[in-house]
Amino acid sequence: MRYLIRNGSIIDPAQRVATVGDVLISDGLVEQLVDLTDLHAMPEPVGDDVEIINARGCVIAPGFTDLHVHLREPGDEHKETLASGTLAAAVGGFTTICAMPSTRPITDTAAVVSHVQGIAARDAHVNVEIIGALTKGREGTALAELIELAEAGCIAFSDGGRPIADTALMANALTYAAVLGLPVMTCCEDRRLTAGWAMHEGVVSTRLGLAGFPVAAEEALIARDIALAEAAGAHLHICQVSTAGGVALIRAAKARGVHVTAEVTPHHLTLTDRWVMGNLVPHDTTAITKPQRRGRRKAHPELGINSWLDPSLLPPYDPSTRVSPPLRSEEDIDALIEGLRDGTIDAIATGHAPHALVDKECEYALAAPGISGLETALALVLTLVHRGEMDLVNMIAKLTEGPAQVLGRSPSTLHPGTSADLVIFNPDELWTVDTGQFISKGHNNPLHGQRLKGQVMLTMVAGKIVYRREDFGQGITQSHPTASRLEGILPSDS
Amino acid sequence: MSERKQILTADDIRRALVRIAHEIDERNGGLQDVILIGIRQRGAPLAERIAAAIADFEGVRVPVGQLDITLYRDDLRLRGPAPMVRKTLIQHDVTDKVVVLVDDVLYTGRTVRAALDAIADLGRPARIQLAVLVDRGHRELPIRADFVGKNVPTARSERVEVHLRESDDVDQVVISRSV
Amino acid sequence: MISATAQRRHAIDLDDFTAEEIEEILETTGSMKEVLSREIKQVPTLRGRTVVNMFYEESTRTRISFELAARALSANIVNFTARGSSVEKGESLIDTVRTLQALGAEIVVIRHSQSGAPYLVARHFNGAVINAGDGRHAHPTQALLDLFTIHERLGQIRDLKVVIVGDILHSRVARSNLWGLTRMGAQVTLCAPPTLLGPATYWTTTWPEVTISYRVDEALQGADVVMALRIQKERMQAGLLPSLREYSRAYALTPERLAGLSEKTLIMHPGPMNEGVEIWPEVVTAPNAVIEEQVTNGVAVRMALLYRLAG
Repeated sequence: MRYLIRNGSIIDPAQRVATVGDVLISDGLVEQLVDLTDLHAMPEPVGDDVEIINARGCVIAPGFTDLHVHLREPGDEHKETLASGTLAAAVGGFTTICAMPSTRPITDTAAVVSHVQGIAARDAHVNVEIIGALTKGREGTALAELIELAEAGCIAFSDGGRPIADTALMANALTYAAVLGLPVMTCCEDRRLTAGWAMHEGVVSTRLGLAGFPVAAEEALIARDIALAEAAGAHLHICQVSTAGGVALIRAAKARGVHVTAEVTPHHLTLTDRWVMGNLVPHDTTAITKPQRRGRRKAHPELGINSWLDPSLLPPYDPSTRVSPPLRSEEDIDALIEGLRDGTIDAIATGHAPHALVDKECEYALAAPGISGLETALALVLTLVHRGEMDLVNMIAKLTEGPAQVLGRSPSTLHPGTSADLVIFNPDELWTVDTGQFISKGHNNPLHGQRLKGQVMLTMVAGKIVYRREDFGQGITQSHPTASRLEGILPSDS
Repeated sequence: MSERKQILTADDIRRALVRIAHEIDERNGGLQDVILIGIRQRGAPLAERIAAAIADFEGVRVPVGQLDITLYRDDLRLRGPAPMVRKTLIQHDVTDKVVVLVDDVLYTGRTVRAALDAIADLGRPARIQLAVLVDRGHRELPIRADFVGKNVPTARSERVEVHLRESDDVDQVVISRSV
Repeated sequence: MISATAQRRHAIDLDDFTAEEIEEILETTGSMKEVLSREIKQVPTLRGRTVVNMFYEESTRTRISFELAARALSANIVNFTARGSSVEKGESLIDTVRTLQALGAEIVVIRHSQSGAPYLVARHFNGAVINAGDGRHAHPTQALLDLFTIHERLGQIRDLKVVIVGDILHSRVARSNLWGLTRMGAQVTLCAPPTLLGPATYWTTTWPEVTISYRVDEALQGADVVMALRIQKERMQAGLLPSLREYSRAYALTPERLAGLSEKTLIMHPGPMNEGVEIWPEVVTAPNAVIEEQVTNGVAVRMALLYRLAG
């Protein structure tokens, strides 16, 4: 099967391409890019086996890579499976996702890795890479057999949401992994500072009487791990950085040549601890008088909330807002965006953490932390683009080129001859989030009912369509100068 | 629009209360055991005025109390926001006394029913009597007044408004009807 | 006369009470107190209505206070305590609430160790929810009875200087009193060791009128009301305090420390007290201590609230 994706805005950060044109897919590979602004462009190949996809008004980009998802299979198939999680990824425009080892059994041996690879080969809709556990059973007491895990195909090591408390063990882990050339991914939280935490420590936690997760708990461990990685010459990857102080530490480490990379989630870039208050009367009336930084409060300055996004759709203490690390402050968001812009933060990763209803329908501090984020990721980060806080090309780079570099791979691209992993999305499509319609089994997402702008229309992995929104792209490209030539070869049902 | 007609003037009210004061005295063969208890809101000032009238002609001051019957109403669930509960102020023990309940208008009798329950919680009077400024009919309970200022035949659609100096700056009774 | 403020469905925190509504509740509380002063301390107002005391955290005094209040209004009251119930079998809060609703409960009074739990209950219950204390978050009936006691004793709340001393960080009483007192125009000072209070801006952003102090002698100057809060031994174990002795030396309400205050200055404590830790026995029995009155007024306040929510 061949596809001719026509008339889209092609954005391929790795090739430094941003133009209007067509993409021809053949035998699972990108065969040709046609730049419609180039008058000397090759005529398009046509034939009976070509399906035309009209991408007018849409962006065609390399498929996104998500460095951080929890797929729950094996062990917690009621929360997510490889089938449901990878289809949700496709809906979100992701063509490669990296699975955390937080399954049951934990991915800490080659046997489990190959078991997961087997399920993925059978069920997965997108490429699944496996992150091996850093310590046996993710218990933080003894290293997992990292050489075996690397040989089995793991692309990184991590204990997921359980940072290693034992500093000596962390030092050993980094030293050992350095030789293998694979990144050690760590969620930075000094758990002695976060006992019983429910949310970000600050004004809101004080008002709501919830135990706080102070920013210092993240910063202290980032500082420690950077020092250890520097000494070990290892590649340290900071998962889900959420604090201004964390960004500053990573920036300084990068500046002196430490091999440290970092990711940030869409929700930490856009939502604040204010969301835990839900529809309670906001207290931050004083915030209104602050200068409106970069227009973030443009839509609802009286509420101090993001354009288009309205926390008052939620009840107070809604467990969907409980995530680790917690939603932080406006100041932290500013620093995270700055970090994305200046390259301190390499990638956007969802931290997709699906949970069953029963894990969330309970008292706030007892609710399992996590957001089922694959299906809202793009629209959420696009709010930053629509507000002019990030440019679209750079944003796409953080979803494609950036994560590839973290994994030490050549960037995903639309370059002819490469695997046709791509996404088509309409950045201006308005839609209302209905978590009940999620493909993911996890409906835990605080954006239920929000109006978002930007939606994935089609996702392709190795030249095969794995997700297509309704009958997207089926229709004649009326305005195309060569459209008339294509009549007669269009599918008869169009 | 509503049509309004004055049915009692300030003088009418004064004369009616003085007459009721005399009737209470006569009916009970003296005033030694009598306590006047006004049902809040407008029964309370009326009880005070009757006591003042009695003091004028008998030279004795009968005890006066105020009773709030909100907590005894039978229509709380039928209303919107809960009505305000005012304080019941009765300094004297009512047991073995003659309690004269005083209210402005006697209509369905439900307020008096609630007042009887409230009094029963405060003690066991020898007798309970009822004095009202206006009896407008339409009883829904087997209750009648012992002392009546004026009987006024009304339609259910009409409203009887008692205005008193203490709360409304003027003494008059008005009957109004929507048109 | 009809209440001037709109009918409310739940009483979970004082953050959504206007000064007008609080004034009405305090007035109703006075009327309820008169009922409680009678020989027959019962009126038929809520006859046939069912109130459930849902206590997930033991609190004898608050539970009994609600029970007496409901009985004084002739409501049926059922006590549900987490111990010995299906909670031990792992039934969730939501399941329990749905069950109680099916059994005919109209008003739920909930005490829970988790902040925010009453909001969860309110979302799954058709009747009224009264918060009898949730975690560190709120204890609105305690704050209302404190307001009533202050108003009854001093005749006003506006412009009074109220000093709250103790474990502010973990105190739902402090938080609800902050809403109530500031809304009624009082000047509130919070005083505690820094580990039991946190940064000043955490408080002053939400309650800009509030003064934060880490030194008790300074905070107490000119106080009209002093409220002590209970210090729990767990705070020491968590490393927040060196010792109870040190806390006592530096923060307890002692006769010496209160000597400079007016004789009219009210001494309050929400109970239960640790005498000799946060408050001295001589202070508890002083004429200006109203700690027992607070308990008495609690029943009347809860009657007033039950009445308003049932209406």
